[in-house]
Amino acid sequence: MPQSAPSTADLDERLSGLLDRCAAGDSGALQALYELASPLLFGCLTRILRRRALAEEALQDVFVSIWQRAGQFSAMRGRPMAWMVSIARYRAIDLLRHERAAPVLVPDLPEQAPAEESDAEVSGWLPASALLERCLQLLTDRQRQCLELAFVGGNSHEDISRLTGNPLGTIKSWIRRGLQSLRQCLES
Amino acid sequence: MTPQNPNVVDRLAAEYVLGTLRGPARRRFERWRGSSALVTERCLFWEEQLIPLARALQPVPPPPQVWQGIRARLNLPEHRARTRPAYALAIAASILMIIVLGAIVYWRTTQPGRLSEVATISAPAGTAAWQVEIYGERGRLLVRAGQLPPRPANRDFELWALPTGGKPVSLGLLPAGGTAERNLTEAQLQALSHATQVAVTVEPAGGSPTGQPTSTPIFVVPLRTVS
Repeated sequence: MPQSAPSTADLDERLSGLLDRCAAGDSGALQALYELASPLLFGCLTRILRRRALAEEALQDVFVSIWQRAGQFSAMRGRPMAWMVSIARYRAIDLLRHERAAPVLVPDLPEQAPAEESDAEVSGWLPASALLERCLQLLTDRQRQCLELAFVGGNSHEDISRLTGNPLGTIKSWIRRGLQSLRQCLES
Repeated sequence: MTPQNPNVVDRLAAEYVLGTLRGPARRRFERWRGSSALVTERCLFWEEQLIPLARALQPVPPPPQVWQGIRARLNLPEHRARTRPAYALAIAASILMIIVLGAIVYWRTTQPGRLSEVATISAPAGTAAWQVEIYGERGRLLVRAGQLPPRPANRDFELWALPTGGKPVSLGLLPAGGTAERNLTEAQLQALSHATQVAVTVEPAGGSPTGQPTSTPIFVVPLRTVS
């Protein structure tokens, strides 16, 4: 872990500050934001879209949206990364509608290996979050697996049914109940 | 037509955010999202809650032509890069950590309830003097002080709801710094539900003695429903 790594609160504030400046039309802020957030967003897009060229195009769409909608973010005061990851995920899912008519059996990624240290480091950087961990523990393994396949991989009910070999109706009900338990736990 | 049943909205919002709401249902939901505060609010809730699942993601540095493409599409000038790549990677990793921590912290700090309305009090093109947040569901008001205008001696700043067709209703004094939070009375909530604007006046110390503004407002700003 580099010693120069900034603290969580600093980064969060920094991202929000950059978004505020984007809202005010400061293009230098968009570039700084891109340098900070694009690796994670590109990781998200490549994971869902599985085609590099398509993910590159989607990343452009995402930053064009961020630039155009930064004012909305400033008004809401949410968490900056949750907002940006959502924009990326929705764009990717939208593109899937046209692009993944047939399932991709042999993904063309990774063409370029992710930066060497990121794999090991990222997991080391992620602290256990007591509340979330406790809530996830309440789910069954199958529910948890379905939620991750959907959220991280952008998989539909049908995809998950195929990937896990379980009937579609079962998948739908695991996901519905998983979300329900998660909400009850997080709001309790 | 937007569904009115909050449980139905919540279930749809969760599956929309998760990504399992697909096809025409997804497109229909997206249209609702733009027009319903309830739908927007539930989506925000789930976006913040589910984001820790993103810890399974691996950062992948995009090739340089992507930024060139963005710049061309938005017609932006080139700025000199300010972040060294190694540092940027460290930050990218930290961002993942923030996602997890942030979602939890956000959930805890929004315990006053769901944000329903918000007003930013600032001079045109100036920095915000106060950020006013109304949590209608639980009847809470939260005010964050920013760059305040100069305050005359023995005077306080007072916040007012301006209900359409009615008299201003005091929402109390504005804090001189930090964050203030308090419960709203039934009358204040009633006034807010009919208000599209809030105002700030300079009043004698302790607030207007008459219950109505005693001076011309120094700010009148829109009260936005969060959507």
